[in-house]
Amino acid sequence: MTGLGEMLDEVVEDIDAVLLYTQDAGTFERFDNDDTETIVVATENAVEADQFVALPLQFNDLDGRIRYGLEGAMDADLIAEGDEVLCLTTFMDGGDIDTIVRIRADEFSHTGLYDLFVNSRADPDVVRDVFEVAIELGKKGQKGKPVGALFVVGDAGKVMNKSRPLSYNPFEKSHVHVGDPIVNVMLKEFSRLDGAFVISDGGKIVSAYRYLEPAAEGVDIPKGLGARHMAAGAITRDTNATAIVLSESDGMVRAFKAGELILELDPEEY
Amino acid sequence: MPIDVGRLVRRLFSEEAAFTVAVSILVAGALLSYLVWRWVHSLFERTGMNDAVEGTAFERSVSRFGTSTSGIIATLLGLFVYTLAIIAAFNVARLLDYEVFWTQVTRNLPRLFIAVLAIIIGLITGDKAKIVIKERLRSVKLPEASILGDIAKYSIFYIAALIALAQLGVATTALLVLLGAYAFGLVFLVGIAAKDFLAAGAAGIYLLLIEPYTIGDEVRIDDKRGIVQEVDMFVTRIETDGEEYIIPNQQVFRSGIIRIRS
Repeated sequence: MTGLGEMLDEVVEDIDAVLLYTQDAGTFERFDNDDTETIVVATENAVEADQFVALPLQFNDLDGRIRYGLEGAMDADLIAEGDEVLCLTTFMDGGDIDTIVRIRADEFSHTGLYDLFVNSRADPDVVRDVFEVAIELGKKGQKGKPVGALFVVGDAGKVMNKSRPLSYNPFEKSHVHVGDPIVNVMLKEFSRLDGAFVISDGGKIVSAYRYLEPAAEGVDIPKGLGARHMAAGAITRDTNATAIVLSESDGMVRAFKAGELILELDPEEY
Repeated sequence: MPIDVGRLVRRLFSEEAAFTVAVSILVAGALLSYLVWRWVHSLFERTGMNDAVEGTAFERSVSRFGTSTSGIIATLLGLFVYTLAIIAAFNVARLLDYEVFWTQVTRNLPRLFIAVLAIIIGLITGDKAKIVIKERLRSVKLPEASILGDIAKYSIFYIAALIALAQLGVATTALLVLLGAYAFGLVFLVGIAAKDFLAAGAAGIYLLLIEPYTIGDEVRIDDKRGIVQEVDMFVTRIETDGEEYIIPNQQVFRSGIIRIRS
């Protein structure tokens, strides 16, 4: 077993920081007194760590989780480019830490995953709530059938001016915000309608039934995605909005910002 | 009247009988105070008071002495009952110059009891208020905001002390005046500080209900022209290229709004 031990020692040698994906106080305390910097990454700062990066979603894929943690820690200047970082996290479902990943902070390409949540025009909470609605909708569908939906979040004034109504706006003079308990049900019903949902920076659902008319030149999204994704990519290039799309054909939730695909999630995993 | 009881027993029976009565009063008093003690404990348990006082400084410092708030209050009540019994017993046995003593005690003992109770309740509610306010302001990550909790805490302490002192017969008029001035100042200052907020809120309610303009409309307020991005209770956000105006709602109301249709 010495070979294995040496290998492990090599992996954890000379690291600058530890990204600890845990909410367990006992695990945290074991690291807290160490010399290396410990940064806790979790949905909630349950262990009251000084250095903390908040996850907006409990990313189920390792890649997204590590990426988000690294970008978040870099954004908050907790780690610098070129730092050797050790990520301790969970690979399979279940609470205990079972995975060690060593990575250099500038080794991966910056996808803007962290910026998508934190540095969007809309409030981070609003972006997260819309994601949750989209995931929920993707999981359950409408009466068992898969549905598609397009949410345009933030910069609502401009989005409204670059779109036109397909029918009467059911949200006119209503004051419904994403995150209100009633919204899940309402959106599920309205997702039958064509067109996009427009949501303001503060989370107010401004309109449904919008036909987006952005200039689509120069939008580069992966081939094989349909008109809904194209519209989402184009509107985010034309405005400062973020678009979150639930695909009707493959059931994936995708997020676009500045005309680019940033995040792809499978609702079934959440 | 206990005095009459003593005299009655003495006249009907003998000096020894009076003494026996006194002793039995003592025993009954002990029993009664124990019952009161038990009753308070179960009352605290049943009404969930134990959970309510959990975490206050008073509860914590009391529990360091191995007891709890319910224990303190129960003991206090029990002592109160037992003291009454002792006094009654002394009375019957004629061991004291009770004439004076009795009047003094009957006047002062309940007051003392209420004063102590007021202090305890004041300490607990003060602490509790601080904790509740702190919890509320948890999302506001501002250390200065915690002063609100302290203000509430010490205000309640002050009022409790005032009640206690008044019960003990200390002249509290000056302190009362101080309290009045303090309360007035608080209301007055908060009123002045929140004046604009109230005005903006009133206008905001109208704007939200009637929606004379909505997100996406192009409008002009005074000389600020742009696209409405957000309307909430207090402010309207209007944006042009590179500039965002955040206009308090009462100003929207005062200077009117021009919707631009083109």
